[in-house]
Amino acid sequence: MSSLGAQIHVGPLERARDRLARLGGPPALRFAGRRLLTAIPVLWGVTLLTFIAMNSLPGDAAQELLGANATPAEVHQLELKLGLDKPFIDRYWHWFTGILHGSFGHSLASGQSVIGILGADLPITLELIAYSLVVSLVLAIPLALVCARWPNRVADKLSLGVSMVGLSIANYVLALILVYLFAVKLNVLPAIGWTPPGQSVGGNLKSLTLPALSIGLPLFCFYTRLLRADLLEHMQSEEYVVTARAKGAGPWRVLIRHALRNSVFGLITIVALNLGALLGATVIIEDIFGLPGMGHELLSAINTRDVPVVEGAVLIFAVMVVAANFLADLLYSLLDPRIRYGGSAG
Amino acid sequence: MAVQPAEIAAGTVPVELTAPAAGGGRLLRSGGLALSLALLVVIFGACFIWPLVGSVPRPTGGSVLNANLSIGAPGHLLGTDPVGNDELSRLLYGGRASLEVALAVNALGIVLGGLLGALAAYVGGVLDAVIMRFLDMLIAFPSLVLALAIAEGLGPGEVHTIWALAFFSVPAFARVARAETLKVRERPFVAAAQLAGSRRWRILGAHIAPNILPQLITFAFLGMGITVVLEGALSFLGLGIPAPAPSWGNMIAQGQSVLSAQPRFVLLPSAALCLAVIAFNMLGDALRARWAG
Amino acid sequence: MSALLTVRELRIDFLAAARVVRAVDGLSYELQAGRTLAVVGESGSGKTVSARAVMGLLPSSARVSGSIRFEDTELVGLPEERWRRYRGAGIAMVFQDPARSLNPTLRIGPQITEVIRLHERLPRAEAAQRAIELMEMVRLPAARERFQQYPHQLSGGMRQRVMIAIALAGRPRLLIADEATTALDVTTQAQIMELLRDLQRELGMAMIMISHDLGLAAGFSDEVLVMYAGRGVERASTQTLFSRLRMPYTRALLEAIPRLENPPHARLAAVPGQPPDLAAGFRGCPFAARCPRAQGDCWENTPELIEHEPGHRWACWHPLGLEGSAEPELLAGRGQRA
Repeated sequence: MSSLGAQIHVGPLERARDRLARLGGPPALRFAGRRLLTAIPVLWGVTLLTFIAMNSLPGDAAQELLGANATPAEVHQLELKLGLDKPFIDRYWHWFTGILHGSFGHSLASGQSVIGILGADLPITLELIAYSLVVSLVLAIPLALVCARWPNRVADKLSLGVSMVGLSIANYVLALILVYLFAVKLNVLPAIGWTPPGQSVGGNLKSLTLPALSIGLPLFCFYTRLLRADLLEHMQSEEYVVTARAKGAGPWRVLIRHALRNSVFGLITIVALNLGALLGATVIIEDIFGLPGMGHELLSAINTRDVPVVEGAVLIFAVMVVAANFLADLLYSLLDPRIRYGGSAG
Repeated sequence: MAVQPAEIAAGTVPVELTAPAAGGGRLLRSGGLALSLALLVVIFGACFIWPLVGSVPRPTGGSVLNANLSIGAPGHLLGTDPVGNDELSRLLYGGRASLEVALAVNALGIVLGGLLGALAAYVGGVLDAVIMRFLDMLIAFPSLVLALAIAEGLGPGEVHTIWALAFFSVPAFARVARAETLKVRERPFVAAAQLAGSRRWRILGAHIAPNILPQLITFAFLGMGITVVLEGALSFLGLGIPAPAPSWGNMIAQGQSVLSAQPRFVLLPSAALCLAVIAFNMLGDALRARWAG
Repeated sequence: MSALLTVRELRIDFLAAARVVRAVDGLSYELQAGRTLAVVGESGSGKTVSARAVMGLLPSSARVSGSIRFEDTELVGLPEERWRRYRGAGIAMVFQDPARSLNPTLRIGPQITEVIRLHERLPRAEAAQRAIELMEMVRLPAARERFQQYPHQLSGGMRQRVMIAIALAGRPRLLIADEATTALDVTTQAQIMELLRDLQRELGMAMIMISHDLGLAAGFSDEVLVMYAGRGVERASTQTLFSRLRMPYTRALLEAIPRLENPPHARLAAVPGQPPDLAAGFRGCPFAARCPRAQGDCWENTPELIEHEPGHRWACWHPLGLEGSAEPELLAGRGQRA
């Protein structure tokens, strides 16, 4: 970086390295791509861990399927049929190579292809996740702005107090309370069940509203506090905020055009980091509301020790987490000009 | 300094629940500390001490003849459940079970996770990289899912639940310990101790540990809230602590079936759960504000 | 002719956790249109705080009393909406740290046009054109390309030029440069100072130059105000101040400047001690503890800033006699001006 405006002598080694780096694509993509590469061992490790957890512990699918009354001989016969007698390494290898060929195997319980089962479940879970994210973020941003505009006044203190309570409520507890209020008492929303969008778009949204609120509202409280804190931090300590005020900009302009633009990065990162928790929530929420999504599928597969289904679901969950983090990195690197237009002065 | 995403990812910025005080916040914060401490004393006292010293009936083995007594019935302050157990007693014993799990999980976290993270950060190099890759793997994944698998594999029971949940608290604490150790490692008194020839374990124990402990404890309080909720989820789903032994989670699950007729079986353990989590969150928050600023 | 800016008995207190810190204590000065006033002092002397008060940029914990008159309008106590009409348009400021004073997520161009569009109803294209003209005026090479770039793609010197362009965009009558060159290397510092001086002449602006660097003050200002512990302790035209040193403090500051002709490893003549704790309040002259000439009455009575000689005010019970005189090279820069 030359403040004198003179040319800096760049040696041939630096130029070659630079050219090589540029082959990877624009800085944004390279940044996100690096993170993606490190995710692959994570994915593999997770599936291995799950396999170990499901397989090396007492009890197995055959026993579960046949129930407590089955004779050992019947259980053994089913084990042979399902290939459960083979050693652990063999089974994992078999499953792993199957994955690489695009096959997730078949359900031990029903015989259906795992991809088929999960493929039908996935859209429901995705819709629930999307709906929950919307609930958690859409109102959080304006509310955080209002709190940051008049910090420590009545509205701010009130929202801090309410949000502290709100984020402390477990999502399954909130689910039951919402069911009691809106389904039982007021009878405006369904307590159980999922209506496909093909049948009725309104019905579809209604059937997902209470579940999305259960997951989204505590997160909304959390994100509001987070964004508010970040906004205030910027407003109080960043020099460019003073510059903006010195230009004659009003408080909203400073807050939105200057503070918020810089605060979104922290928010994006936290939302991405929280995605694991969001996915975990779908398991219990789908169970409460009887939604036939992946979380529900996973739960029953765990109960019946249907290993291929569990593995498939776990892998898909893991891929979703990785994909979400990748998207967040990509978004972050696209939005932050320091990464997008890397490079320095001269 | 504004919260940088890199810091969040590295775990050096724990969950921000309040803003830095702009003048008048200090009074509220010390009030928050006092209030949350008081609340926790009440909760722990009720769940751990009251059953021992007071005349609280047993939480299990009730007679169906006593079923569904309403709140305020003689001898049953909060009534009885559909099989005749005293509801208050179930709340207290259930709380004790849930809190025991949370305490154990977070204690394991501080000790094992703290050690692991501090060691990784202090030693650095390959050991650090390997440990952190492994921990990243565990943290990245939805913990409830794997906890379910492990709990299912192990079977229900308080101890098994502790193991299942510790699987995730240890990596989380390790990450915090690592981030804090990295900061402390650069401080002059550590260099001074190294120059004086102190051995590695002594430095870790005498210099590093006391300086990362406040952050770990703050994290532990927030972690208590999270663990209590997770244990509740496990018990709710039939794993975790098995009926008839009460836990707030399985009480909520049992109450679900009679939600419309008698909401109190869901509302009472829910309120207890939420109150505990609020208290932990407020305390963790207040401690962080106090120890960070 | 009435002055462009008149400050009278300006007092600024900060309320901080049950303490009151008096950052500025009875400051008074005037500034005519087109002239440059250098405000010099150590950190904590109140120079930046008083400048921010002129812009109305103090935090809410500040309590301002006294008078700041700008073009016949009293600024102290002005409602916020009216303040905003002055900021950026009547009075503008250039800040110290160009690395942090620009929004990293906005392009350069919009950060300049923002000022223009806040105060005038110009369509975007015209505002952009004016911004590019401004960038050329501040001698920023390749202005059209820079318009689209982000702050991190510019060097420190270039960013400071952008800050100056931003400050000039509203055509201010008064420009406040708050340590505008402190964060830059020496060569760039000189370039920026010359730029400011030329622009000031071209545009007929008045300028307040805040610095701890007496050399800079000597080279580029018409008048100098020395501040210490929140008070004005000496004020005179630059020529007068440096040719007839009166204040021991000012001389100490001068002597603290390292000189090329000193032998290697010569001790730097720092001013010993620390400025007084502004929350504690003090009695007598605030500089007494560090003054080599301090005598009995210096500890008892606080000296006021009085015009002891025509055009030269100082606040001291035992000023230097006629023997103190500035080094010639400090005035060399002024020689070029005349």
